[in-house]
Amino acid sequence: MEDLAGYKGGSLNFLKKARASIGDVLEVETSWGVVSGTLVPRYVYGDGDHVVLKLHSGYNVGLDVSGLKSARVKAKGEKPSFSVSPPPRPSKGLPRVLIIGTGGTIASRIDYRTGAVHPAVSSADLHSLVPELSGVAKVQPEILFNVFSENVRPSHWTKIAQRVRKAVEEGSDGVVITHGTDTLGYTAAALSFALQGVPVPVILVGAQRSSDRPSSDGPINLIAGVSAAGTAGFAGVYVAMHLGESDDKVALHRGTRVRKNHTSRRDAFVSVGVPLAAVWGKSGSEYVSEDLPKRGSSSFAPRTKFEEKVALMKFYPSMPASLIKAVRKLGTRGMVIEGTGLGHVSKGVVKELGLFIDAGGLACMTSQCIGGRVDLNVYDTGRDLLHAGVLPLDDMLGETALVKVMWVLGNSHSLGKAKEMMVANLAGETTSRSFPGEPL
Amino acid sequence: MTSQLAADGIRVGLEVHQQLASTAKLFCSCPVIKSEEFPYHFERKLRPAQSELGGTDPAALFEFSKAKSNLYLWNPESSCLVEADEEPPHPLNGEGLESAMLAAKTLGSNLVDEVHVMRKIVIDGSNTSGFQRTAVVGLGGSFRVDGTQVGVQSVTLEEDAARILGEDESSRRFALDRLGVALVEVALDPVPGDPEFVAKVALHLGRALRSTGRVARGLGTIRQDLNVSLMGGKVVEVKGVQKLNLLPKVVEYEKKRQLGLIRISEKLGERGVRRIKCRARNVTKVMGGTASKVARRELVDGGKVVAVVAPGLGGLIGWEPYPDVRLGKEVAEVARANSLGGIIHSDEFRRQGLSEAEEARLRAELQSEVADAIILVAGRPPMVDRCVPLLIARLEEAVSGVPAETRAATEAGETRYMRPRPGSQRMYPETDIPDITITASRRAELAGKVPEDWQAKVARLQREYSLSEDLAIKIYDSDLSVEFEDLSRELNVEPSVVASVLVDLPSRLAREGVPESALGLEVLSEVLRAVGSGRTAKEAVPDILKAAGSRGLSVSEAINALGVQLAGESQVRGVVDSVLQKHRHVIEEKGDASFSLLMGEVMKELRGKADGAVVSKILRERLTELTGKKAT
Repeated sequence: MEDLAGYKGGSLNFLKKARASIGDVLEVETSWGVVSGTLVPRYVYGDGDHVVLKLHSGYNVGLDVSGLKSARVKAKGEKPSFSVSPPPRPSKGLPRVLIIGTGGTIASRIDYRTGAVHPAVSSADLHSLVPELSGVAKVQPEILFNVFSENVRPSHWTKIAQRVRKAVEEGSDGVVITHGTDTLGYTAAALSFALQGVPVPVILVGAQRSSDRPSSDGPINLIAGVSAAGTAGFAGVYVAMHLGESDDKVALHRGTRVRKNHTSRRDAFVSVGVPLAAVWGKSGSEYVSEDLPKRGSSSFAPRTKFEEKVALMKFYPSMPASLIKAVRKLGTRGMVIEGTGLGHVSKGVVKELGLFIDAGGLACMTSQCIGGRVDLNVYDTGRDLLHAGVLPLDDMLGETALVKVMWVLGNSHSLGKAKEMMVANLAGETTSRSFPGEPL
Repeated sequence: MTSQLAADGIRVGLEVHQQLASTAKLFCSCPVIKSEEFPYHFERKLRPAQSELGGTDPAALFEFSKAKSNLYLWNPESSCLVEADEEPPHPLNGEGLESAMLAAKTLGSNLVDEVHVMRKIVIDGSNTSGFQRTAVVGLGGSFRVDGTQVGVQSVTLEEDAARILGEDESSRRFALDRLGVALVEVALDPVPGDPEFVAKVALHLGRALRSTGRVARGLGTIRQDLNVSLMGGKVVEVKGVQKLNLLPKVVEYEKKRQLGLIRISEKLGERGVRRIKCRARNVTKVMGGTASKVARRELVDGGKVVAVVAPGLGGLIGWEPYPDVRLGKEVAEVARANSLGGIIHSDEFRRQGLSEAEEARLRAELQSEVADAIILVAGRPPMVDRCVPLLIARLEEAVSGVPAETRAATEAGETRYMRPRPGSQRMYPETDIPDITITASRRAELAGKVPEDWQAKVARLQREYSLSEDLAIKIYDSDLSVEFEDLSRELNVEPSVVASVLVDLPSRLAREGVPESALGLEVLSEVLRAVGSGRTAKEAVPDILKAAGSRGLSVSEAINALGVQLAGESQVRGVVDSVLQKHRHVIEEKGDASFSLLMGEVMKELRGKADGAVVSKILRERLTELTGKKAT
């Protein structure tokens, strides 16, 4: 049967009649002349009235089938495919780095289904797009799964953490994880908790500009990430993304204090309330913070379970208290609230949180201000929240707090133990000192 | 194919890029401003990418191999995150789309039913994203020039590239103010390469586009490219012919160059050379003690010298089938496009300071006979290494005559090699912009906006205002037709005078040193008003404008300074009466016949500062009154 992906309705009938398939060279007669071109797929949200031809010049044009008098297949064509040249052999004596692909736009192609950008499926794609990697490390690319990061769940974090553990056992000098930028911060936090004490660098990288374009920031981030993973003297979980809009520097951010603060800029990722962990330049590390854990430390016992039934709620004026009730009724075990200011919510919500806690739930408070620490001792509302049993989380980021609650509930057997773990600074998720002049 | 296929064999496809007049850029809300200062900058490198149909693009690989980094300078008044490739494009500017559709209709081209925006890979740095956004709006169609039908291939809406500010060995500098400005590109079917006809087609094209009223005016807003080929041969793309009068020169130059290359390939045929297989060898050591200054200079700098041996090309590198057409020149241009100073070839070894002995040593080392040409490439090792395969490719193409290339037009009307001609595989869909359906209602709306055909408009101006064709075309081209019509209707001045003041005088006065910028529309309108109201005579206009333009005076000041103000009617009456009184007896004696004497006396007293026609009218009136009285 002819492959006519995306075409429907009148355009599909038209093409079936002409016995045309995607990739064939089609000659159609319009009211004003003959147009010849390669039939390319129709995007799934396109209408059923047009056929799209790629002209010899390379341009695509859409023609209304109702205006076409005839169509003739001039030549059977090649289906669009992607040829990937083999990667160059790595130089000797280089560190071994495992690159775990999870999706995201480090390596992607055009999706004819929607006309949007979609992660690539072959692991050879990853390495071949960035041949410079061979000069940095002996890389071992592997696709663990392939999803847009908004579809990532705690079970994915578990999978990644387990793969990293195996990589350490296998003797990898470092691990790089390519990931969509949308939830990259969440995954970084998750791995920071699950892989406490990891003896090698675990670097998450992403790309704000899709890799199908020549200007993609992906390759630069990947090269820096691989270099850091293979050669850095420190260990731990970090996010490596552009520092600034030029291609000359990549920042490494601590995994529990990093946030995506812009929808599209290359330098969207920022470290909140802490200095950068490191900066990588064109020829390697340019700056490394002194307080990072050293590579090769002794104890590494990953705990990779996560409890999924945790909710993150951003409080807003007039938020119905019944919303908290509804979330509780879903069987939610933990709630992280992004309160206003120092960690406040309305009276009604305080009450519902109390009921949630009384029923055995774990409720924690962060601030939607992002910068600064919560303090429930300053105002009445805060004191009411404390009295209700809500746990203030200092200056922990809301997203990190969500992940931590999921991890804590998945790795503790009592609520008391869980609360203890929540307030302990396990992976740099809270700080004890803040300073004037720090960027907001 | 022989070079005896003379001039008719040449076909020229014209491609014009015209900046559109728009309030904002094509994919963002930035205004269209040429910035003078750039307070910010950032630096990037671009990588090649794959196209939808698989395979890679030769031009893209070529650019990546040159691997320069790009420095982008920007000013927030003229560019934003979209130009910095830090934000997806905003929806396609509807005004721009409409302008492109109007341009298509004006040229008789057919609108497509669905507009698909594409990404055209460009990694020379002039687009921060590594591609240009471009969409076909019109396909096919034709118009007539001098009775000949000229076919339209396509009308495309696209964004302009960043402005190159400079380039050195390792980097290029660009300004982002121009990036993203809406352009319409019109590609025409090839026409016979008669240089004058090509110029006429370009002129017609420019006028037709301007008739839409949607295009920008001024230097650099229209760029012309030519695709030149001999019948059936490879197409050479010549980019950037800025001035219309250079078109014929460029066509002539390419004709000569291409025919010359064909003659070289024929010569090779005569020698029995069907294929050239070059080899290259590092001869840095052998060239150690060279007498050639050029080679020595490169070697001193830590450079290397590679010799390319081209069997069968001995004597043909320096041979000129036509004046200044040489294979050696072609190869040298490829070297220069790759940041090398040039080449030294065996046909000019002596002239370049390489002795016979040195040549013999070289040939021995290379095991090369005299029938072989030797091309020496010297420079920094990474550049030489990058360049050698490209030179070899160029040399080996000599057997086939004219290679497909992209060349740049020079200000002298010549062409220089720029880069290999890109394949069509460098385009893929711009997935951030949804496809746009051109609905029936949109077409209907457009039909009402198609402008008056420019030739019809010129004919109308001629007819309605009794202008010569020349003046009518000048008015049309000047874009002052609205102002011309307004002034002609409003003022008591002949339209031909209005026209000539608006479009002839400024350039004439420019030749006498009056800056055209000082004679703007306001100044010209003012002087015309002064003539219309009788304040001054039309004969005084050039002097007034000269004074205003070069001495910075206002029109009023200039009139007073030059003393060319005309006497008002009452003043004229006064003088006429006093003259008539003074010459009573002559009137009594001669009656009407005294008119010319009296006229002379009046003008003498007015020191010529009166409109002769007005004086004559008043004098005649008064004289008739006087003599009439007498008569009765």
